[in-house]
Parts: sequence; C-alpha cells; structure tokens
Amino acid sequence: MTDKKTEEDMVILEGTNLNKTYRSAGRTVTPLREISFQLHRGEVLGIVGESGSGKSTLLRVACGLERPESGRVLAGERDLTGAGPSAAGKYMQMIFQDAGASFNSRHTMRWSLEEAIPAGADREQAKQQMRSLLRETGMSEDLLDRHPSALSGGQCQRMSIVRALLSGAQILLCDEITSALDVTSQAQVIRLLRELRENRHLSILFVSHDLALVSMLCDRVMVMKEGACVEEGETQKLIREPVHAYTKELLGAAESFAV
Amino acid sequence: MKIKRSVSDQRKKQRYRIIAASAAAVILIAVALLAPMLSPNDPYRTNSAIIRHAPCAAYPFGTDNLGRCVLSRVLMGARTTIAVTFFLVAVSFVIGTAIGLLCGYYGGRIDDLLMRVADIMLAFPQMVIAIAVAGILGGGIAGAMTALGITMWTGFARLSRSHARTLRGMPYIQAALLSGKSGPYIMLHHILPNVLEPLLTNALTQIGTTMIGISGLSFLGLGIVPPQAEWGSMISESRAYIQIAPWAVLFPALATILTILVFNYLGDAVMEYRMAERHT
Repeated sequence: MTDKKTEEDMVILEGTNLNKTYRSAGRTVTPLREISFQLHRGEVLGIVGESGSGKSTLLRVACGLERPESGRVLAGERDLTGAGPSAAGKYMQMIFQDAGASFNSRHTMRWSLEEAIPAGADREQAKQQMRSLLRETGMSEDLLDRHPSALSGGQCQRMSIVRALLSGAQILLCDEITSALDVTSQAQVIRLLRELRENRHLSILFVSHDLALVSMLCDRVMVMKEGACVEEGETQKLIREPVHAYTKELLGAAESFAV
Repeated sequence: MKIKRSVSDQRKKQRYRIIAASAAAVILIAVALLAPMLSPNDPYRTNSAIIRHAPCAAYPFGTDNLGRCVLSRVLMGARTTIAVTFFLVAVSFVIGTAIGLLCGYYGGRIDDLLMRVADIMLAFPQMVIAIAVAGILGGGIAGAMTALGITMWTGFARLSRSHARTLRGMPYIQAALLSGKSGPYIMLHHILPNVLEPLLTNALTQIGTTMIGISGLSFLGLGIVPPQAEWGSMISESRAYIQIAPWAVLFPALATILTILVFNYLGDAVMEYRMAERHT
C-alpha cells in the first residue's frame, strides 16, 4: 500500500516557471507566463481555458516542439529543457486535434505506425505489440493497409494513440483530441483513455475546452488565462467550489450552453 | 446528377488528352533513342555531288549545303536535343528540389540568402541570362547547359520550398519529430512524396522551354556546335540558303516546333488535370 502510494506521488513530468513569447510584425503575444505544473504517475491533469489562453503552447513546450524563453521541463530526473522533440519523445507523445492530419496521406497506416517504433527496438516484437494494441483499442488489423483518408476521425484518433504507445512513452499530451469528433467517437476515445490509464498506468495532460469531458476524465484541473494559471485543484472540488472569477465565468458559460 | 456526369465526362476527356500527349511524347523519345537505326544515311557524311539536293527517295528530307542527309540529321538531332533537355531538366529538378526543401524546412539565413539569389535570377528574362552566361563560357554543350541551368533550378526550388514551409507544421511531421526522426528523413519521407506531383508537372512544362533554350543558343552559335546534329544549329547553318534549299531549314524547324508542342501540351494537360482534381 505504501509502495503504491509512493508510486502515485511520483512526479513524472514537471514544468517550472515556463515563459514563452512570440513576436511577429511588431506584435508581441505571450502564450505562457511563469507557468508551472506537475503531472504525477497515472494521473490525468486537465488544462482548460478559452482559445488563445496558451493551453496548446504549454503542451508544445513540454514536448520540445517549442523552446521556452525561460523555465524548465523535467521528465523525472531528466532535464528536457531545450532538448528538442526527439529527446522528449522517449517520455511523451502528443495526440493532435486534427486526427486525419496526424498521418501522412501518402502512406498507409502500417507505414505510419511502424515509423514510431524506436530505433534499436526489436521490430518483430514491436509489430506484435502493434497488433495487440490494435486489439486493445478495438480496431481491426485490416485498417493497417488503408490510407488515413479511408479511416474515420475516431479511427484516426485511436490510431494516433496506438502510435503514441508504440513509441514506449508513458505520458500522453492530448491537445483537444475530441473536439473534431462526433459524439460517439468522442465517447469511444475517452473510454479508451480511461482504460489505458487504468491498465497501463499512463499519465495524461488533457487540454480541452469541454468541461464536461474534463470532469469525466481528469483527476485535477488547471485553469489557464492569458498564459497564466489562475486556479488549480482537484476536479470535482474545482467544479463545485470555484474560487477565481474566471473559473466561475468558464463554468457559467458551460452551464448556460448545456441549458 | 447531370452536373456530376458532365464533370466525369470532362475528367475522362482530360485523361484522354494526357494519354494522347504521353503517347506522342513516347514516340518522340523512341525515335530519339533509335535514331542511329532509323537514319537512312550517315548524318555526318558530306557529299559534294549532292549538295542542296531536293527531297527524293534516297534523301526524303533532301540534303544540306554540305550534301548531308537532312532526315538523318533531324533524327540524330532529336537525340541530342531531347537527351540534353532531359538531362538538364533532371539536374535542375534534383538541385532545385534539394535547395527548396532545405530552405523551406529549416528556414533561417540560408533560406533568406538562397531565395534572394532566386529572386535575382527570376528578375531577368531566362534567355537574356542564358545568352550572357553562354557567351562568357563560350560555345559547347556544357556551356549551354550551365547557362540555362543557372536559372532553371529556381522554379523547382520555389515550388518545393513553399510546400515544405506549409507542411513542416503538419501534425504528422511533428509526430515524426517526436519519434526521433531527423530533418533529412522528414524531408525525404514526408515532404517529398507530397511535393513530387507538382514538381513533376513543373518538370514537364519546363521541357518545352528548355528545348527552345537549347535550340536558341545553338542557333546563335552559343550551344551545340556543328558538325554535331542539333536542330537549332542546323537551322542556323542552312538559313543562308533558305531560298535555294528551304527543306534544310524547314524540317529541323518543324521537328523543333512539333516536339515543343507535344511536351507543352502534355505539361498543360497534366496541369489542368491536377487543377481540376484540386477543385473536386
């Protein structure tokens, strides 16, 4: 029991005082201001906020697709700040909003999935793992010989998850992954993430503007506004008793939409 | 329904155009390759007894000012012109595409520098630069090819650069980066397959222009020089006698026009097909 507790307390990904600024055509945009977060092993951390609040930038900085101006990104003991996506990819993989565009239309799904097998890994074993992951995610092997255009959005998104797991990463960075899907596919993807988290003890950073989804999936939620964290806490508590005015506003907007 | 059918009819027509133009192009290439076998006479043998002979059974296109068989020279000329053109387009394709992919993918100072060079090249008419460069380098195949190639790569470079710039932000490329793939790998396996089609269309449309360039430089004495058979230099050699032996100018000129028409038609047909594809 103590061991399990310790394991769950382990911080698997940590961002400290991250700052990011873009300058273009004389304008300065600051999507990240002194933002810090901690993701524990097996935890789902939701990141909510309106468009332009810096949610996606935070994920891109975490996985090395963008370099922060200052601050640090740590995966366990390993400092990934400025190490680039190929170093970060060993620890985390990103699932993108546009599922169809996550795969090159010129290649088959098999080609794209095999591309994610790490260099130096036993390829036969990895292919076996690919087949078992397809079963786990409820997809037929026949889909492997198709091009992405012949798959539905939901199937592409589940394939993205299979690809991410094939790389051996223990952290998934999900960037609005259900916003382009129909309700049934949304439910399938969310169910899959829950199962994977249970079975594989994955850690997930879940960016979304859909508070209903966040409340279903996330253990903790971080609310972002203009690149800064305005409130953070355990999901149910934050939804029941929001402290910050912006969080109340977000919840109010979601409620009025639901009515 | 009616609209749908008319669209598919149009597509069918476009496909037939491509097939017809490709068939003509294949015939021309085959003629060029088989030229030594198809030539009725030795294209380089001069004969003072039959100078400027009108077309007859032995010399179907007549003879030129040195008594050489015009048909044999036109056939051998096809070989020279088509081979030089294809080689030049292929080299420009490879160099231009490589530069474009590197500039588009990595960006930065090298991109700025090379694209400004391309802008300068594009600011002048291609033939003016080609004449100037060929003039400096002197005559010969190598000089003419360098002169034309110095501007030709820019088209391929700009095309591949713009595609690389658009594609490098695509999620599948970011996924490849996260899988530990390198820049060259991504350019080769992810960007190039997506740019290949427009690049090949551009290459097809460049064939006609390049042929005009090669023949034009040869006509001016800055390209392929006699006695090697080449259409431009054949026209140039014989134009002084156009009133006495018009066939010596007419047939190489017709061959040039026909070949350029075929390749330009093929390029246009493919381009039109691709444009229609994008809009459906």
